[in-house]
Amino acid sequence: MRLSPALAVAASAALLATAACSPSEEGTNEGELTTVTAGVIPIVDVAPIYLGVDQGFFSDRGIDLELESGSGGAAIVPGVISGEFDFAFSNVVSLIVAREQGLPLTALTNGVTSAGEQGADFGGVFVLDDSDVNGAADLEGLTVAANNLNNIGDTTVRQSVRADGGDPTAVDFVELPFPDMPAALETGQIDAVWAVEPFASTIREAGHREIASNFVDTHPDLSVAAYFTGEDRLAQDPELFADITAALEESLAYAEDNPDEVRRILGTYTEIDEQVIEQMVLPRFPAQINDESVQTLADLMVTDGLIDSEPDLDALLP
Amino acid sequence: MSTATTTAPTPGGTRRPGARARTAPNRPLLGLLGIAAFLLLWEATPRLGVVPERYFPPVSEVLLTLAQRALTAPFWEAVGHTLYGWALGLAIAFVAAVLLGFALGAAPRVRAFTTSTVDFLRPIPSVALIPLAVLMYGTDIRSTLLLVIYACFWLIYIQVLYGVADVDPVAEQTARSYGLGRLARIRYVVWPTTLPYLMTGLRLAAAVGLILSITAQLIIGSPGIGQQITTAQQGNAIALVYAWIIATGILGVVINIGVRALERRVLRWHTSVRGEADT
Repeated sequence: MRLSPALAVAASAALLATAACSPSEEGTNEGELTTVTAGVIPIVDVAPIYLGVDQGFFSDRGIDLELESGSGGAAIVPGVISGEFDFAFSNVVSLIVAREQGLPLTALTNGVTSAGEQGADFGGVFVLDDSDVNGAADLEGLTVAANNLNNIGDTTVRQSVRADGGDPTAVDFVELPFPDMPAALETGQIDAVWAVEPFASTIREAGHREIASNFVDTHPDLSVAAYFTGEDRLAQDPELFADITAALEESLAYAEDNPDEVRRILGTYTEIDEQVIEQMVLPRFPAQINDESVQTLADLMVTDGLIDSEPDLDALLP
Repeated sequence: MSTATTTAPTPGGTRRPGARARTAPNRPLLGLLGIAAFLLLWEATPRLGVVPERYFPPVSEVLLTLAQRALTAPFWEAVGHTLYGWALGLAIAFVAAVLLGFALGAAPRVRAFTTSTVDFLRPIPSVALIPLAVLMYGTDIRSTLLLVIYACFWLIYIQVLYGVADVDPVAEQTARSYGLGRLARIRYVVWPTTLPYLMTGLRLAAAVGLILSITAQLIIGSPGIGQQITTAQQGNAIALVYAWIIATGILGVVINIGVRALERRVLRWHTSVRGEADT
């Protein structure tokens, strides 16, 4: 045989060569800034933190904030627990559930709050225009899509059904990612969807009907999500987290006061169509969590059986 | 094998020197025709209203989006990240599988000892390891690597084991009687026998590795094509989602062509590549 081993090694060598000329890690420390990593989702809700980086609210405090946009949130809580993220963004129901499962998470600031207006919130329940459903109570016996089951979507939609005099246990929820909802609704695969922006805008634009604003039905000032970290991490570096919290609060206040800025920054980190960005309903961004609304959510979670007993909210809330 | 047919002889099947030359030029042509038919179907489906255009844009719109994006730096950055995870993962899996495969292939007892463990681990889908990967490495490139290596390793490893086991006893005995030592026998008998198997494993692993590299980014959110697809989905940029999917397909084809070229080069002495029997 006349085979050169060098040829065979060429296979691995070629692969290694490809590896050598690919992008390298960018983790250099710039001056005296402390590098902090935050886990976020590339959605509308986190516009304030992108604005905060853009406006220098973090760098002013000596923080070099790196935003890791993990998808769908699957990596977020584990990321905080493992220390990969110094802090992150998640919805309040997920945080309460995680806390009940024994994960020592604690909120830093509010994340995003319901716009508070019936029929004009950043999320709602939609049906086809020619559907027989007129109110949330009519959802009894029908199938409603939510992006996650036993989470904030179905919990608040059940509250809408309850508030409208219906039986929430008679509503059948199925899991469907937000991006798939407009098509699933239109093709009749599903009776109703709980969707948030920008998909809510797409659905409205297609001429479908909004029958409930589930966040508003739960609490007009509903704190939907929060920025949070691990208790250990917080105890390790209280000064750094005081700075992070202050920067987050400034970012949230800036976003709350400058909706045009929110729409501008959305064009930089999302792929949402410009026209949709102009038209869609923005959430509100108060810096403080509305404790009462979180209590309401926690009570609903107990009622619906997401958790067994009344959670210790004092440990979770700042 | 091919018994009566004369129209489409398989290489090495009907041993006529001219047959291969005559069928070969048609293959790329047929391939192109296939692609054209597929694109036409894609263009027509939304345009004829079979599916709503709003949720499934015609291919012309998707290709236009792809062309626009291909002119921007972030596009190539994402491609680079994906290729990096793929190449590094595949390389590590390749080296590990070859070393372990040869070592265990040469030691039948140890091989028997590990068979049940391998059979247990092998069918575990790489994606099932995502929670573990995230817990250990977060959204780091190492998460992607874990998934790629796990998926690729078994494909190559099993092929190497089969290859090592396939050594012709007569060749082995001949080598021994010529006084070849252990290393020389590996070099001149075992290695050439295993090589075709190894290349098959590499080819399978290259394709699977790309899938896993993108899946990891899609689900975990580490940078790359997968993450770009997620961002496009979250922004309801449907044409862009499909543009990335096409880009992924093109990448897959390019990788496959590359590995096949490598295979032909490395195995140019082998009958499967020469396309003629040694008679």
